[in-house]
Amino acid sequence: MEGLLQLLFNGLSVGAVYALFALGYTLVFSVLGVINFAHGAIFTMGAYFTYLLIGGAVGANGLLAGLQFPFALPFWLALPLAGIASAAVALVVERIAFRPLRDRGSDPLLALITSLGAGVILVNLIQLLVGAESYSIPVGTLGSLPAALNIAGAKVRTVQVMLLAISGLLLAALSIWINGSRSGKALQAVSEDPITAQLLGINSSRVIQIAFGISGFLAGMAGGLVGLSISIAGPYFGIGYGLKGLGVLVLGGLGSVPGAVLGGLIIGLAEACVPADLSGYKDAVSFGFLFLVLLIRPQGLLGRPQSNKV
Amino acid sequence: MDAGLLEQMLLGALLGLSVYLPLRCGQLSLATPGFFAIGGTVAALLSTRVPALAGSGSTYPITSVLLEMALAALLTGVLALGLGRVVLRLRGIYLAIATIALVEILRVVTLNLEFTGGALGIFGIPQPFDSAAGYAAFTLALLALICWLCDRLEKNRPGRAMAAIRDDELAAASQGINTADTKLLAFVLSALVAGITGVVAAHFLNSWNAKLGNFDASITTLAFVVFGGSRTWLGPVFGGLLLTALPELLRPVGDLRLIVFGAVILVGPLFFPKGVITPELFKSFKRRIRGTPTAAAQGVKP
Amino acid sequence: MTLLQLEDVGVRFGGLQALQGVDLEVKQGEIFGLLGPNGAGKTTLFNVISGLTAPSSGTVRWRGASLDGLSSHRIARLGIARTFQNLRLFSSMSCLENVLVGLHQHASQQPLAALLQTQSFRRRESQLQQQALALLDLFQLEDTAHQDAASLSYGDRRRLEIARALASRPQLLLLDEPAAGMNPSEKDELRELIRRIRDQFKLTVLIIEHHVPLMLGLCDRLAVLNFGQRIALGSPDQVRRDPAVIEAYLGGGA
Repeated sequence: MEGLLQLLFNGLSVGAVYALFALGYTLVFSVLGVINFAHGAIFTMGAYFTYLLIGGAVGANGLLAGLQFPFALPFWLALPLAGIASAAVALVVERIAFRPLRDRGSDPLLALITSLGAGVILVNLIQLLVGAESYSIPVGTLGSLPAALNIAGAKVRTVQVMLLAISGLLLAALSIWINGSRSGKALQAVSEDPITAQLLGINSSRVIQIAFGISGFLAGMAGGLVGLSISIAGPYFGIGYGLKGLGVLVLGGLGSVPGAVLGGLIIGLAEACVPADLSGYKDAVSFGFLFLVLLIRPQGLLGRPQSNKV
Repeated sequence: MDAGLLEQMLLGALLGLSVYLPLRCGQLSLATPGFFAIGGTVAALLSTRVPALAGSGSTYPITSVLLEMALAALLTGVLALGLGRVVLRLRGIYLAIATIALVEILRVVTLNLEFTGGALGIFGIPQPFDSAAGYAAFTLALLALICWLCDRLEKNRPGRAMAAIRDDELAAASQGINTADTKLLAFVLSALVAGITGVVAAHFLNSWNAKLGNFDASITTLAFVVFGGSRTWLGPVFGGLLLTALPELLRPVGDLRLIVFGAVILVGPLFFPKGVITPELFKSFKRRIRGTPTAAAQGVKP
Repeated sequence: MTLLQLEDVGVRFGGLQALQGVDLEVKQGEIFGLLGPNGAGKTTLFNVISGLTAPSSGTVRWRGASLDGLSSHRIARLGIARTFQNLRLFSSMSCLENVLVGLHQHASQQPLAALLQTQSFRRRESQLQQQALALLDLFQLEDTAHQDAASLSYGDRRRLEIARALASRPQLLLLDEPAAGMNPSEKDELRELIRRIRDQFKLTVLIIEHHVPLMLGLCDRLAVLNFGQRIALGSPDQVRRDPAVIEAYLGGGA
């Protein structure tokens, strides 16, 4: 029983981060119909921002070697600030990699390339500035919380509980925003039918910016959380999440917000179920799901079917 | 120019062609690095584990390389035939994501299998050529052959069918074009080119590991085509040559080079939405080559 | 002789019954018109015949044999060509290339000959080019042969689409609103053109068009669809006087 509970906690806490990550993908996909390949890089930025804000020092290899902020914020404050900074980065990505294509009426698939270009720039910028070494966020920044909690006999890391709690909070806030606010409803309208939305007077450029902003905020927070629970394994560490996020996205259904959450939790749990002697194959779980879903039910668990227009 | 860099550029051009073939048919497949990795693994395994292929001379026989290429083509071709039937039912971004997943699954499996050398890969792949220049000459001949085949393909029945599917799949089917088979043909040809290229690359690089067929490679090779242009074979060749050379040519700017590379991928599609080599440019290029035979002898196209 | 036969054809999209119990027989050599208000199911009927939409019930027969389950390229190869209501030209290709794609089935299928550009292969290709140019000529598009299809005027694009459909040498030509967007004199020319190609290529034509005078003057027989059902069938005179047709066009629909 304890083992099962442990497994559940491990899986759900990883899955919650996947869900946060995939939500950013899905928000952008729902308004633009393309994948933002810079998303993994924005996630990475979030992790580094968090590290700097808690007072972490830059190593010896980058241009900014030895840099350290004169203050050290507690994690609960550093994380949302890092999310805001990541949102700003996402807005810049939208401005340089997406908007020019829209203004020129180019093939939307080109955004795959331009966003990747933006991602390459971001990742290498990080490398240039702070070097390629890995960093970790000390658990001490959580304050006086104990390192592990005992829940119904299972020993659970506090960090995992935090991951779950923060992710749950963000997901709830997001769904309240989408269903309850004016801008959230505008987002839904644009994702249903951009042309009609425009006719109804919805400023789709504004909605797209909002989608990117929130997407970047969530990615940045996810980056900070992973940095806390595992570590920041160098500038490239977001790419793996970026790819797994695709699996989450497809499993839940492209463009579906509840789908991204469900997909994240399922894949997190499935990865946690991979036995230790096969742990090398863990990374394939997400892609295996992805592949199967595309073949059996391309619209995903909660997505809408692809339209086949005549 | 450094022959080693030239060889890398030529391999880049071949990979560009591999991404281009399905894209010319309107299919955004990112499976090229997967088939490239299979080709490389086939070459690495055969040349290091099968003593009969090593020959008696000091260098590895070219006939053995050709045999590896044939086997790699057979394997990737059969695999693409089977996978293509399944994945080509997907459209647009869905096909792209499915092929990314294929490449990643393959990478993880290669990484974990004993006989592919795991994370370290396979070392000491024998050399059929003494110098990088030998590789470059061999690869140039291969590239020329494949360009010639692509040129013929484009001008004829399957090429027209591919272009029609890209413009409007439904209308193409209404003209009697077997769209499923045509897309499959493009996918299989793409796999063959990637597999054969993998064989050459494995020998050239001397070692082979799972990292060579990863997601980065998917996107870089796609960038070759998007940057160069996807309407004629010259586009991906141009894009592959230039973008492979770029990070090396930018070496003087040091650490900034990958940032500049990213900027090129970012800005390229904005200024050249159809790629640098548009069909009009291609036609005038061909006219110029026909007009001056000496230029043809020295030029890219044999 | 009956060329095309629809037996009790029905199509359901979710909760919408787009076609219901439609019976039709199209005889060889006739120009058969389909009339009906918007949303009556005319284009759906074309999609069923050309294999783009599978009927939920009933059967389509071509020369007595069922077309059930055949994909659209197979149906096209049997000799059924079509145009589209909202024009589906290959927009990145020239007019000539569009027609050449129409000639697809008749191009050489020997890959080796194509690779080596054998003499017979080149002769075949140049024959195809000439056929394509002759078709463009027939539709007065010879001057624009090398222009992009997307750059043509609307009426020219409509004619190019018919030329492309004819290139496959069909026995049955399905025309979906070929006169849409044309001015009155173009419409008159189109009527003559359709008659001429019917005689010259020994075609059977099935045509959807909203312009009632054009249809009454052109078609040998007509069927009228409303809400997915056939409400009238007969010669132009019979259809003109049919009370159900008058009701559909002037009554509740208006």
